[in-house]
Amino acid sequence: MNGEVNMNEIKAAPSTSGTDPKAVSRRTFIQSLGAIGVGAIFFSAGADKQARGQSVSTYIDSLSTEQLTAMYTDMLKIRLWETKIKDLALKGGFRGVAHLYVGEEAIAVGVCSALRQDDYIASTHRGHGHLIAKGGDLKLMLAEITHKATGYCKGYGGSLHITDMSLGILGMNGIVGASHLMGAGAAYGIKVKGTDQVVVSFGGDGSIQGSFFTSAANSAATYKLPWISIIENNQFQIWVRCSDVYGIKDLARRADGYGIEGRVVDGNDVLAVYDVAKYAVEKARAGRGPTVIECKTYRWYDHYGFQGSKIGRDGAFGLGYRSDQELREWMAKDPIPRFRRFLVNEKVLTEERADEVVQEVKQTVDDAAAFAEAQPVPKAVDGLLNVFAEGAVPLHKS
Amino acid sequence: MPKSMRYAILEAIQGEMRRDKLLTLLYEYQRPAARWGGRSINLEAEFGRWRARFSAIDENWIVGGALGMSMIGVRAIAHIPSMTTLIPYELMFNHAGKLRHMTGGQAAFPMILWADMQGRASFQAGQHADAGLESCYARLAGLKVVIPSNPYDAKGLMVSAIRDVDPVVFCHYSVPTSGPDVPDEPYTVPIGQTAVRTEGKDITIVGYAPQTVEIAKAVKQLKQRGISAEFIDPRTLAPLEQVMETIIKSVKKTGKLLTSDDGSYSFCNCTEIIARAAEAVPGTKFKRLAFPDAPPPGAPEMINYMRVGAADIVTAAEKMVRG
Ligand SMILES: Cc1ncc(C[n+]2csc(CCOP(=O)(O)OP(=O)(O)O)c2C)c(N)n1
Ligand SMILES: [Mg+2]
Repeated sequence: MNGEVNMNEIKAAPSTSGTDPKAVSRRTFIQSLGAIGVGAIFFSAGADKQARGQSVSTYIDSLSTEQLTAMYTDMLKIRLWETKIKDLALKGGFRGVAHLYVGEEAIAVGVCSALRQDDYIASTHRGHGHLIAKGGDLKLMLAEITHKATGYCKGYGGSLHITDMSLGILGMNGIVGASHLMGAGAAYGIKVKGTDQVVVSFGGDGSIQGSFFTSAANSAATYKLPWISIIENNQFQIWVRCSDVYGIKDLARRADGYGIEGRVVDGNDVLAVYDVAKYAVEKARAGRGPTVIECKTYRWYDHYGFQGSKIGRDGAFGLGYRSDQELREWMAKDPIPRFRRFLVNEKVLTEERADEVVQEVKQTVDDAAAFAEAQPVPKAVDGLLNVFAEGAVPLHKS
Repeated sequence: MPKSMRYAILEAIQGEMRRDKLLTLLYEYQRPAARWGGRSINLEAEFGRWRARFSAIDENWIVGGALGMSMIGVRAIAHIPSMTTLIPYELMFNHAGKLRHMTGGQAAFPMILWADMQGRASFQAGQHADAGLESCYARLAGLKVVIPSNPYDAKGLMVSAIRDVDPVVFCHYSVPTSGPDVPDEPYTVPIGQTAVRTEGKDITIVGYAPQTVEIAKAVKQLKQRGISAEFIDPRTLAPLEQVMETIIKSVKKTGKLLTSDDGSYSFCNCTEIIARAAEAVPGTKFKRLAFPDAPPPGAPEMINYMRVGAADIVTAAEKMVRG
């Protein structure tokens, strides 16, 4: 039956533990992390009750040392690059705005690590992390956020619209929910083309209520599109608490109604996110249709801008709609040190090597900032270009 | 310090919610609360959550809900954020604007679409710096469209909109505070009544909302250069008949009509004003200043070059007056 969860499918997912001698120990370690939620709870139309609450942890074992190190590096890139933006902006004179992703890094990295370079993502207003995890260039991204002529979008788009078609990044997007529809449309295009690519649409907890999500989900289910919808549930829509505007607690349950398999995962656990994302990606690639994955997380900064934050300090405090205590509890679940502990315990990285990675990423971020700073601003008249493929539109002033 | 536009609008709604015990506000995240001096308004605290209700990110609910409520006699205000102006377009087009007519006068929608509007700000780009979409609503049958430029007009127009039995789109651009002080008690600025901001004899200049700031500057500079400009703020964009009476009277006097609009050149609302003036007063000289037919770029260098500023208005007016 369309969309019904197939337990055999999950159990039969490839176990590559034989290929990596560390696999067994990793699995043991992961299982010992059970308390912090490795694995996903899934919901699905027709799934029997027993299935609910069960977890899967199949793909993590196949991650190589290089892949794991790259995941750690990417999480740090997101963290340190955005923290740099915050510090630059608080210093004053910053030519741009931003919705910071800090705190949610495990989702972008977990998901994008499960993708191929030629897969697509459709991103949101809080999308810097998605783009970095998909290979976005930190220099060009910072140049774009500061509206420089050499940024990703030549200074036209800024933070909200960064796009890199060559990396399969269909763009950040300032309209909530649109990412689901753009992504599902791209997934339909893949079917027409007949390739085995997949599309991930990222969206916040607020993104599934407008009609865009419904249109995307129903079509993805009906046509079995290679579409994965990642719902980043950071519990707020600006200041509005999710629990005040939804009748359900686990948003992945929405998937049921469309006949899509829905999963809930700890969004602060990069391995858990990777695991379920990889499962969904393999399924989509094999033509077995879409998955909706809800990742529970928390944003460290305000919805937009830098209120409540300070240079050299993580997090935004004193915001009226949440308690500092709640933020601190979530900061204690910081996905980055958590992953580092895993990597060190598993002997993927030594403490020394992990520190080196931090220093390397810091240098990359500083280089990006220096690059962006040195870039030229756009020419005024160029605002009239790029409306159509050819020519300029008239100014009509004289 | 005078009351801000937001405070003035909330004061209008507060007064009407006290008068009409059913009047209800649906909104998304723009809290219906504001402070001014030592005073504060908080509609949720005063009237409870049933009458001042935030929602999920769901503009179709906010507007559609208001339509349904108002259809059974519960007056409603639907407040939507600025980047979503056209999301509820279908509801306003095919329902709010049409059903009175289609039902032979039975159905009524005493509702207000309180639409936050964007300006042409730098660093926003594309989806967050567009302007001029009021003309999309003004071209729909059955809808009234008002567009205040200062807190006094905002309060008076909101009261009129709430008391109106027809659907009204209340276009709320944020404009630096100017104009008369806002009285505490309810009052109306009638829908259809324009404001002649400055009287003059050489040229008529028409514009509204953020452009009023540029026009006011330009009018001063023109005066220094010996040109007497008459500046009219329409305040209502639909229906336009009564508004045009004032504009046509002015144009008959000056023989020249210059309009200045943050909307895109084609189909900006002033296009309609020029067309009507052309029909009514043959021989008039016209000039339409507007944003190019382009999305708004984020970089200040580009968007500020494209947007109409006071200097552009002065140049255009001088050219029209001096030949
Ligand atoms: C259709 C639409 N409605 C409203 C907005 C204004 N807005 C921008 S972001 C946002 C909150 C988004 O919440 P969520 O989807 O949970 O993402 P988060 O910001 O928490 O990452 C809102 C209401 C918008 N951009 N688009
Ligand atoms: Mg959210």
